Amino acid sequence: MWFKLFRIKNYRSIVDTGWNELASDNITGLIGQNESGKTSILEALNSFYSGKISDDILRSDLSLPEVSCSFSLTSAELKKFFSEKKVPEKILDLIHKSGQIALTRTWNADMSSYLSFGDEQVREFYMELEDKQKAFEEKTLSGLYRVLEEAKKAEGDRGNALMEKEETKKELRALELILARARKIDGKKPTKDTQNQLQKLLLEEERLKKRFEKKKSALESRSGRLADLSDNSRFAQLCLDTLDELDKAKGLWEESYRELYDIQIYFDSLHTEREIKGIKGKLDMVNANHLKNDRKLEKSRSRASFSVAVTSRILKGMDPSEAEDLVEKEIRKQAAYYSEFELAEQAFMHIPIFELFEDFSSLLPNRIDLEDIFTANSAVEGFKAARNFLIVSGLKSTFFEERSSRILKQKIEKLNNDLSLNFQDYWRQNLGKDNKIEIHFELEHYDNTHPDKMGKPYLEFWIKDEQERLYPKQRSRGVRWFLSFYLELKANAIENKDRSRVFLIDEPGLSLHARAQEDVLAVFEDIKDDIQIMYSTHSPHLININKLYRLLAIQRAVEDDMKSETVIFDPRSLNEASTDTLSPIYTLMGTKLSDHQFVKKKNNVIVEDTPTYYYLSTIFSLAGYKKEMYFLPATDVNNVPTLVNLLIGWKLDFVVLLDDDSDGNRIYRELRRTHYHDNDEIASRKLIRLDSGGSVEDLFSTIDFKNFVLHKRVGITESNSEYIEMNELSKAKLASDFILDVQNNKIKLEDFDDETIDNISRLIKKLDNVLS
Amino acid sequence: MDYFKEIALEQDLITKISEQRDKIQHQQKELAESLKYASSIQSALLPDLRYFKKLFPENFVMFKPRDIVSGDFYWYGRKGSRVAVAAADCTGHGVPGAFMSMLGISFLDEIVSKGVPGANSILNRLRENVMKALHQTGEVGEHKDGMDIALCVFDLEKMEMEYSGAFNPLYLIRKGVLHETRGDKMPIGINAVVEKSFTNHCIKLKQGDLIYLFSDGYADQFGGPYNKKFKYNPLKELLVKISKKPLEAQKKDLERSFIKWKADCEQLDDVLLIGLKI
Repeated sequence: MWFKLFRIKNYRSIVDTGWNELASDNITGLIGQNESGKTSILEALNSFYSGKISDDILRSDLSLPEVSCSFSLTSAELKKFFSEKKVPEKILDLIHKSGQIALTRTWNADMSSYLSFGDEQVREFYMELEDKQKAFEEKTLSGLYRVLEEAKKAEGDRGNALMEKEETKKELRALELILARARKIDGKKPTKDTQNQLQKLLLEEERLKKRFEKKKSALESRSGRLADLSDNSRFAQLCLDTLDELDKAKGLWEESYRELYDIQIYFDSLHTEREIKGIKGKLDMVNANHLKNDRKLEKSRSRASFSVAVTSRILKGMDPSEAEDLVEKEIRKQAAYYSEFELAEQAFMHIPIFELFEDFSSLLPNRIDLEDIFTANSAVEGFKAARNFLIVSGLKSTFFEERSSRILKQKIEKLNNDLSLNFQDYWRQNLGKDNKIEIHFELEHYDNTHPDKMGKPYLEFWIKDEQERLYPKQRSRGVRWFLSFYLELKANAIENKDRSRVFLIDEPGLSLHARAQEDVLAVFEDIKDDIQIMYSTHSPHLININKLYRLLAIQRAVEDDMKSETVIFDPRSLNEASTDTLSPIYTLMGTKLSDHQFVKKKNNVIVEDTPTYYYLSTIFSLAGYKKEMYFLPATDVNNVPTLVNLLIGWKLDFVVLLDDDSDGNRIYRELRRTHYHDNDEIASRKLIRLDSGGSVEDLFSTIDFKNFVLHKRVGITESNSEYIEMNELSKAKLASDFILDVQNNKIKLEDFDDETIDNISRLIKKLDNVLS
Repeated sequence: MDYFKEIALEQDLITKISEQRDKIQHQQKELAESLKYASSIQSALLPDLRYFKKLFPENFVMFKPRDIVSGDFYWYGRKGSRVAVAAADCTGHGVPGAFMSMLGISFLDEIVSKGVPGANSILNRLRENVMKALHQTGEVGEHKDGMDIALCVFDLEKMEMEYSGAFNPLYLIRKGVLHETRGDKMPIGINAVVEKSFTNHCIKLKQGDLIYLFSDGYADQFGGPYNKKFKYNPLKELLVKISKKPLEAQKKDLERSFIKWKADCEQLDDVLLIGLKI
């Protein structure tokens, strides 16, 4: 897995960086002025890995930070890393399509954080699932209430029906008494009246009997309904009880979390051991209580979701035991897939380890006891540097178990040679004249001057050059810094072969000489196949001019306004960054030129700017031009006359090569008038113009420009230089990419078409005619 | 009652149908008129052949659009002693082809406005113009429109010519023998592979040389006894056969032969063939 992209939101001066790509060859540099936000980017990425942030990173609007990182993932890795469960089909498709997985860490107001898996599309997928689940729960809950309501109503209805039945029964009984009496009277002395009265009562009895029967059947029907509903309402009530239980568990969890959070903050603020000891017991107790509540909450949550799922099916008419079986089956099926949280957790276990290096303060000591190293006594001075030294040397404790002191000495001597050679590959800085330093170590034993340690072994370190052998502490801080840096990086690379790493290095080599800073870059180059590096710098010496694609330019949205947000310019839009931000690049271009000691007695060719210098030097070398000539770049066309005056003053021979554009022509006329008194014959021998109608980029045919400089397929109807200007492209970046391609043998002279070759030949001929 | 109702309905239907027919006829008429007008604009844009006759006294241009407007176009431009002549075939025919042909003519005019560069240079620049105008960047899903073309630049003072082609070849008949120079296998417009410069073929001319430039319309026309394409070899044989005749007569023969081959078949594409005698 390689770290590919990052996006930071709401972190100190950063509002939203958008997605930014890391350099494809694993070394990414952040350039920018002080306070531009370079360190914030490194810290944010470190926070992504560690999950830790401090109060001071929060923005004034208290919007919470979020850091997303995307990593490459091959099909084999996908299979290997996510083997325990199944990845949902849709997410698999998305991963296969992009070849990357993204992780986002979001912080809560209490500084705790959580990881989420995937980019916006994946998150949308899980959000949809969540919404569906929520809708299902809400629907079930309203169903539960409805059932309970109905059951309650049915109970009322049954009660009413019962009452009505009883009342009718009562009426019927009363009527039966009256009827018995009427029968008696009529039996004794039947008259027409008694007969009529009896008839009436009989009719009334029949009516009441019918009514009673009706009430009886109504009661039966209500009772039946109540019986039907009572099962469902019982299940509904049970489900509501589990939801209540969940609410209570949540309440308890929040309460214990708050208590733990407060006590933890208090604990972290303590300084004395006594205070710490005093509160430690309480902290442990609260922690244990919170853990208990956490487990309880988890249990309640799964019980509630199970109950909701089962009850919803029962309410739809399913048999309770069947519903339980079905839900259990569904849960098992669901459990076979990774949840969003599990995916994030699983991915996080395999992403590269991020390490932030702010300083390399553990400098190599003069001596260290072997016992301290092998018992990992980190409190001892220089422990980390000495431990790193042993890792880089490949030394284990068994090495020192060799009984023969002669063999051990030989081994050490050999090792010292190997190690110094390796170190010298990077440390090119000369000490004194031709001396280069070597690191040596020796195994010694304490004598009787140290009675408490007498006979115990210790390692002694030396930094040696041809003239003298000195203890590390007798060397400059710069040498010791570089050594510690070298040891740390190398040791880390050796120790963690199984998992890739991302080193975030803030301002490496701040105290080093320019040459030594370049050596730092060499170390980066050496470890970049194992470790990805992102570093911040102001120094031009920590930038490779041929690899500007490695740079991200960091600056404030409003220059000089430290309250405005941090913005990032990727290598394709470096030209949009401010001059101050890009100053290391400009300085470097100048510095590199000065390395060449480029002003010679004759055949100096003054050109307008550095891109022209780089193009022409490269093209003339591609064309195999043999005559010695030296291109001198002015920093701008307007500075050409100054350079001309300088060379005239130094009595150095030169010609001036100007662009065939308005500025070039203006300077041409100015020089012809001021230096050559408008004498065309002399001027034509000293002042040359690129005759392809524009700037150095116009030496290329449009097709070659597109294929070898622009690397883009687009119709260009204007001149190449006009295209660059109109599209606001960085001339320096294009020149740098072109040079890199030539250096890597990706471009040869024969790749150019006839038009380009003609243009180059004409220019060579033109210059050749005027050079001596 | 039902009978009268049916009659009324039928009459109603007839009225509606005739209304729609009138509407369609009207639209057709309008369309035909606007196409005719477009055709007159296209004709006006095509270069004046009377002036062409002054440059090449013996020449013919056989131009048979399939529709009212054409996707094929002929073009020439002159600066000093250098004359560029082209026969081009835009993707599609009819209106889309005509739009492309107008673009092509305008771009070619602009390219030679300050002087006639090398034949391949004209094609290179024409391709840039087309790619830019159609926003072609090689991305999936964009329009792949463009044109095939055969273009010559003559310098009659030096008796030299340059030829450069995008698919379309050049036929030169010298002393009754046909010499074919093939164009590059890439169009004017975006291609599957990155752009390369078109090849510039320099040819020394001799008095009496016959030059033919054409689109694929003639050779691709279906017809004949087995309803097949005319193809290039028969075209070459025909050109050689008629090469001794004056150019005007050659044109008539070519037209006759085309009509005969086509017979009752529909004309499938625009047809363009330019013949010049040095």
